[in-house]
Amino acid sequence: MSERALTRKSGKFSITPYLFILPHVILFIVFFLYPLCYGTYASFTKWNLFNEPVWVGLENYKTILFNKESTFYRQFWNGLGNTVEFVLLCVPFQIIIPLILAIAITQKPAGHRLFQSIFYLPNMFSITAVTLTWLFIFNRSLGLWNHLLGMDVNWYGEQPYAWICLVIITLWWCIGTNLIIYIAAINGVDQSMLEAAEIDGATKFQRFIYVIIPSIKFPLTYTLVASVIQQFNIYGQPLIVTGGGPKESTFVLLMYIRNLAFGTGNPIAGTSSAMATCLGLVIGIVSVIQLTLLRKQNT
Amino acid sequence: MRKAKIIWRKVPVISFAILFVFAVIFIIPLIWIFLSAFKVDMEINQAGGFLFFPKTWTLRNFAEILNPNNKQLPVYHWFTNSIIVSGSHTILAVIIYGMSAYAYAKMNFKGRDAIFLTMLFLSSFPAITNIIPLYKVMLNLKWLNTPLALIVPGLSGVFNIFLIRQFLYGIPDSVIESAKIDGAGEARIFFKIIIPLARPVLIAVGLFCFTGNWNDFVWPSIAINNLDRLTLTAGLQLAKGVYGVQVARMSTVAVVAVVPMIILYTFTQKYFINSISLTAGLKG
Repeated sequence: MSERALTRKSGKFSITPYLFILPHVILFIVFFLYPLCYGTYASFTKWNLFNEPVWVGLENYKTILFNKESTFYRQFWNGLGNTVEFVLLCVPFQIIIPLILAIAITQKPAGHRLFQSIFYLPNMFSITAVTLTWLFIFNRSLGLWNHLLGMDVNWYGEQPYAWICLVIITLWWCIGTNLIIYIAAINGVDQSMLEAAEIDGATKFQRFIYVIIPSIKFPLTYTLVASVIQQFNIYGQPLIVTGGGPKESTFVLLMYIRNLAFGTGNPIAGTSSAMATCLGLVIGIVSVIQLTLLRKQNT
Repeated sequence: MRKAKIIWRKVPVISFAILFVFAVIFIIPLIWIFLSAFKVDMEINQAGGFLFFPKTWTLRNFAEILNPNNKQLPVYHWFTNSIIVSGSHTILAVIIYGMSAYAYAKMNFKGRDAIFLTMLFLSSFPAITNIIPLYKVMLNLKWLNTPLALIVPGLSGVFNIFLIRQFLYGIPDSVIESAKIDGAGEARIFFKIIIPLARPVLIAVGLFCFTGNWNDFVWPSIAINNLDRLTLTAGLQLAKGVYGVQVARMSTVAVVAVVPMIILYTFTQKYFINSISLTAGLKG
């Protein structure tokens, strides 16, 4: 309303606002919108990154989705399967662990602020820093873990250990954000409801299930889907830690996409773009589910 | 008696125990790399591959890795590159995002909301497909292997404008109007009034942009293929190929990777923690 009053005073058409937004609009078009459109277009072409793409229609999609003879088919489904497996293994813990920690922190025990800082710290690190930090923890003969527990497990070279390592490393890196969100949400829970529940004789656990959880539904849904999207983009952890092994069982889709376009051989950017578009669609569908869920809970 | 009971209730022992155990698990990897960075690789090998505490404390690993003449892992150059790249990116981001947010929040012009909301919607598309065409764009602009490839494309985000715009709604229009009556132009108002008033959100956005750019790992390793021009984050992934299983040297590399962020975090913690609640829509 008040903004309208402002212009009424200035009255006539002014170019100034457009000059203020122009730099960003240009950047957005050149470095986001154009690549987005071109990438989608490229997925319908044969393209080696340097020549003009040649239109082939749905061929790339047919190959990766249905052609069982093709390596691209095997790579796409293996990569997508591994990515989904990782999402399913990682996300439940990425919700539950920070939730437990947030409840503990909001009880305000001694040093709760320090604990919060410690749990958030790894979030600041790059994936390179995170993986280098963990590289020798799980090393079979040189590692801390096997030595401390007197085990001889080939963590990076055998399943399910390789997944366990990647999940632990990822949780160490990622839980901070959800933790901060839960702490803020729990601190915002109506105190009178908690007190009423306490007077009615509800145990701590009951108060948690019946009062706190329903009150923080919105942040819970938000973090759930944000975490799912985040973990669908997994790339750096398996690349550096396991190299996709053992037997390509941790070779995730983004690794194949990257290898096809920027690997050692001739770039196969068309097929790579088709895989990326499919992954984008999967993530997009998850986002739509997120919006639907959020809307339902808001009403 | 009653008082004692209240105090007891305020000391949640179980909570403390849970937090303590997790905190130890969280810190051990960091302690381990910090301890290992001061070890001598030879001595680790002689001890059968495992030493918890260094036998001889040494700074040789740091001297070797941070040496400006280190040809295999030019960490020194990567660090300088990262500072220049992330610093320039952040300054440009704050100005460009701030200008846009100011226009979207406080000016009235045709298509204002349509333009902004369309961009916000489009920016929510997963950008996985973007990196391949972006490479092509860089090729055409001849930006590959230059800092511009690392500084500029990331300035196309929309979400940070959204955050600043939300904050600017809280600034009363009367402040801007009275400046206009005093004869200040929009540019002057932006730099002299909006930037100082929006400081908290601009710092938060700046920190997000800085750490995001500093930690970017995929794009620099695609856009830069000259070893000396890499960033710290992208460069350090090559350490595994150079030092292999030399635990002390690799741990030193890890320490070099984490320390800048630990320092930044120590001084700016509250901004990160506040702005996360902000992004999740819990406040404001």
